[in-house]
Formats: sequence, structure tokens, C-alpha cells
Amino acid sequence: MASTDAAAEKEERLKSALWYSIGQFVDEECLNDDLNATPQFIGALTELVYTQIANTARDLEVFSKHGGRKVINTDDVMLLTRRNDALETMLKQELDRMKSAEGRADGQAVAGAHGKKRGRPAGTGKGKAKA
Amino acid sequence: MPPKNAAAANSARRNGPQFKPPRPVNAPTQASATAQRAPATKKTTASGARPAFQRATEIVSSEDEQEEDAEDEDIDDDDLMEIDAPTRDTRTAQPASSMSNPIPAALLARLLYENFEDSNTQIQKGAMNLVGKYMEIFVREAFARAKNEREMGLRAGGISDGFLQVEDLEKLAPQLVLDF
Repeated sequence: MASTDAAAEKEERLKSALWYSIGQFVDEECLNDDLNATPQFIGALTELVYTQIANTARDLEVFSKHGGRKVINTDDVMLLTRRNDALETMLKQELDRMKSAEGRADGQAVAGAHGKKRGRPAGTGKGKAKA
Repeated sequence: MPPKNAAAANSARRNGPQFKPPRPVNAPTQASATAQRAPATKKTTASGARPAFQRATEIVSSEDEQEEDAEDEDIDDDDLMEIDAPTRDTRTAQPASSMSNPIPAALLARLLYENFEDSNTQIQKGAMNLVGKYMEIFVREAFARAKNEREMGLRAGGISDGFLQVEDLEKLAPQLVLDF
């Protein structure tokens, strides 16, 4: 009983933090567009975004499990966009941009090998322990 | 400082014909808007200090083009505003903050980890950044569609006080969730 109360309280706190961030964003965008948003609108948007994050988290977890991995990688995230081609294009661009930025940071790493390499921190730890 | 400036200009105009360069009519109100905004922008840029995030320029639907147009107009305003120098700093700081993510990365990471069913689940940093982008697009899209919904309501002859309502969100939510 006490643990569920604590969990509920934690969820409320996280929602409040999200509410604050979303509120800041909406207020700023509204100022740009000469609009206004009711507090109820921000609250409802917060609820929507929170639910979306929760669903995303569960999806990602299941995707990586299905792939036989314990760590979620970028492929799992790309799988989120499977029903929306335009969204996939955008995230692909973002991914390429991130990869090229990383490639510039440590020049010797090949972009293709990079994703695999980063997906294995747990695995390599075991390997080292054996050797 | 800027309102005082504007007031001085007005009184000068009343007293007699004196050369003053043309200035935007809404300058004082905008200046006060930036004054209100200033602390908020500082905060968001400080907390979401993540230069890696690009602005979502290439976006899918027409609503977002409208949004972009609006921002372009904003930039035009900037150029006008530079005639009155004092407000310039806050104005130039503003587009940078609109680039930042609506959900801070740390908060998003926390929310994701809280919602994993298996507490051993981990997520790569690159994947985390990508989820951040995904949620940013989601929030921006929700806002853009709400704005569009409001404009459609206005065109249909409804009365509007310029407030985004929960009803707008209710109308767009099903399609939005299906699209993401």
C-alpha cells in the first residue's frame, strides 16, 4: 500500500516536471504566434505527451527484447516510425547527423561499425571477465 | 528603457515635425513581451543546453510550413527591431531557445526509465537522443495541429478569443496518436 502511494506520488512529480516543460514550450510558441493557450490545454497536452512517452518506453523495451538484446539501440527507435514515412525520413536525417557528428569527434571510427560497437557494453564486459 | 524611448518619440512627434525614422507600431508591446520572455528563455537554454539538437526545419505537413513562415516573419520583425538597439540582445537570443527541446533530455530519460517494465532495460545514448528528437517532433506537431484546428474553427465562423482550448486537442489527438 505504502509502495503504491510512493509510486503514485513519484508519477505525479514527474508529471509536474513535464507540465512545467511543456508549459514553457507552449507559452513561448504562443508568443511567437500571437496566440494563447488555456491552462487546461497545457494540462491535456501534458497528459497526452506523458502517455505517449510511456507507450514509447514499453514499445522500445519490447522491440529490443524481440531483437534478443538488453540495450535499446537506434534501430529500435527507428522501428517506432514504421507507419509514418515522413517521420522516418526526419529521424533518419537526425540519426545521420548525429553519426557524422560522432564520426568527426573520434575520426578513426567507421560510421557503420559504430552502432554495433556501442550496442555491446554489457557483452564486452563479460568477455573481458573471461579473458 | 525601450518603452521610455518610444514614449519620448511619440511626444516629440506631437510637439512638432522632427525627423524620426519609421518604426513598427507594435514595438512597445513587443518589447514588453520580450522582457517577459527573457527569464524563460534563459532558463530553457540553460537547462536544455544541448547544442546537438537542430531545429526541425524539414517537416512533413503544411501546418509546419505555416509555423516556419511565422518564424520567418519573426525574423523580419527582428530586422525592424534592430532600429531600436536596446532590445536587440534579447531578440537575438530568442530564436536559439525556440530551437531547444520542449522536453529536457534528463527528464525524458527519467520518464523512460520509470516506464520500463524490466528495471534492467538500458538504452544507448544515441538512441536516447533519437527518442528526444522523436518526442520533440511529437510535441511540435501537436501544437501545430492545435493551432491549425483553431484557425479552421475561426474560418468556420466560430468565435475565438485566441485561446487554444482542450477541445482543439481532443479533435486532433486520435489522428496524432495514429501518426506516431
